[in-house]
Amino acid sequence: MNKVASIIVTLGLMIAIGIIFVGKSNSEPAQNVEIKNGIQYITLNARGGYFPNVSSAKADIRTKLIMKTSGAYDCSASLVIRSIGFQKILPQTGETEIDLGKPEAGKSIQGVCGMGMYSFLINFI
Amino acid sequence: MLKKYSFHVTGTHCASCKILIEDILKGEDSVKSIEVDLKKETVEIETESEKSAEELAQILTEKVKPNGYTFSVEKNVQEKKSDDTIWKAIPIGLAFLILFFILQKSGLLNLGIGGQTTPVTSFIVGLIASVSSCLAIVGGLVLSLSAKISQDDISDTKTFFLFHAGRLASFAILGGVLGSIGSAIGINFTFSAVLGILASIVMLILGLNLIGVFLKNKITLPSGIFQFFRKIEHKTFTPLIIGFGTFFLPCGFTQSMQVAAVSSGSFMSGFMIMFSFAFGTLPMLALLSFGSASFAHGKHAPLFFKSAGVVVIGLGIFALLAGLAGLGIINPLFNI
Repeated sequence: MNKVASIIVTLGLMIAIGIIFVGKSNSEPAQNVEIKNGIQYITLNARGGYFPNVSSAKADIRTKLIMKTSGAYDCSASLVIRSIGFQKILPQTGETEIDLGKPEAGKSIQGVCGMGMYSFLINFI
Repeated sequence: MLKKYSFHVTGTHCASCKILIEDILKGEDSVKSIEVDLKKETVEIETESEKSAEELAQILTEKVKPNGYTFSVEKNVQEKKSDDTIWKAIPIGLAFLILFFILQKSGLLNLGIGGQTTPVTSFIVGLIASVSSCLAIVGGLVLSLSAKISQDDISDTKTFFLFHAGRLASFAILGGVLGSIGSAIGINFTFSAVLGILASIVMLILGLNLIGVFLKNKITLPSGIFQFFRKIEHKTFTPLIIGFGTFFLPCGFTQSMQVAAVSSGSFMSGFMIMFSFAFGTLPMLALLSFGSASFAHGKHAPLFFKSAGVVVIGLGIFALLAGLAGLGIINPLFNI
């Protein structure tokens, strides 16, 4: 193979990798936050990643995070939220309630899966 | 009469090559002493033989040829050839990486498997896990170690067999233990994340080594240390232990299965769940190790080693960044 051709192919492949990694997946602004009886519930689905990826919620209100899993065996089942010292392997199917306390405005909470390739972010406004 | 000769040697890709060549040629009656210099790629031989330097180079080459070395009086110029290989290897390696990451992003691997975890479902989970992002760590490690072992010309098939047997056995037994202890045991995230980072560093070093970055400025440690490593490489228990270690590598699927084994409640059911899971991952991992052995002994060996090096480095970087993010050291850079 010609060296120049190889370099061109290589550059093309590098760009493709860049697109795969940086390209935003369709993060639809879902209605995943609701307030019931004075408690704010944020619901995330965990399977092959966390959905929605980024959510925003109200600050200064008692907040609970609900992780929904259905048949999740991949990394997203092993959840780590460092800022509140949470680490647990979620049940394959079910709902897990995590107490986030009363988050302050401007704070955000980030969760990653055990291997670190999936993550989610919740911003409190 | 004792005469001294100096030959150029090619094919000394590994640091243990020095020991290997010296061992082989020390067994020759005509050779009184031998000294291999990896940096200069030369070998000094003292011999009583009356043959000419060219003849001697040819005779000695016959002895070490099965291991991939050749001696010559003149320096062989092969630089250009290897330059071309890397330019072929980079696109090939990148293409494999892209296929792998597209597969992860496609969501094809996220099929939900509901219901009770039975040996059948854990076998299927194993099959999925073996092509999932876990492949980045476990598969990358298997590929880099296999390629390295095949390159060093150790009895590779036996080593791979032991690795896979050790892996199956330790998964099954540890699964059984988890099942019988029940909830008592906690699977430590930080421990497995640190192990994952170590694995990715090993992958990066081996990957660079496979590409041949270290070839020009080979790092030569005192040969005592290499004797030690070589002894370990040949020991039966080493591949068994590495197989055992893969149980603790960070992989979401493995961890889910461990939890399933814990909640299964008995030695036998935990044993069966973990065994079927490991059995499901076997086809892909066996393909990686035995596949690299067959390539390594084929005529495309140099291209294979370099392409494998590119793939392993790519996976190593991915695993390292993900691992650091998992530990909370850096912000997650991607969601794959």
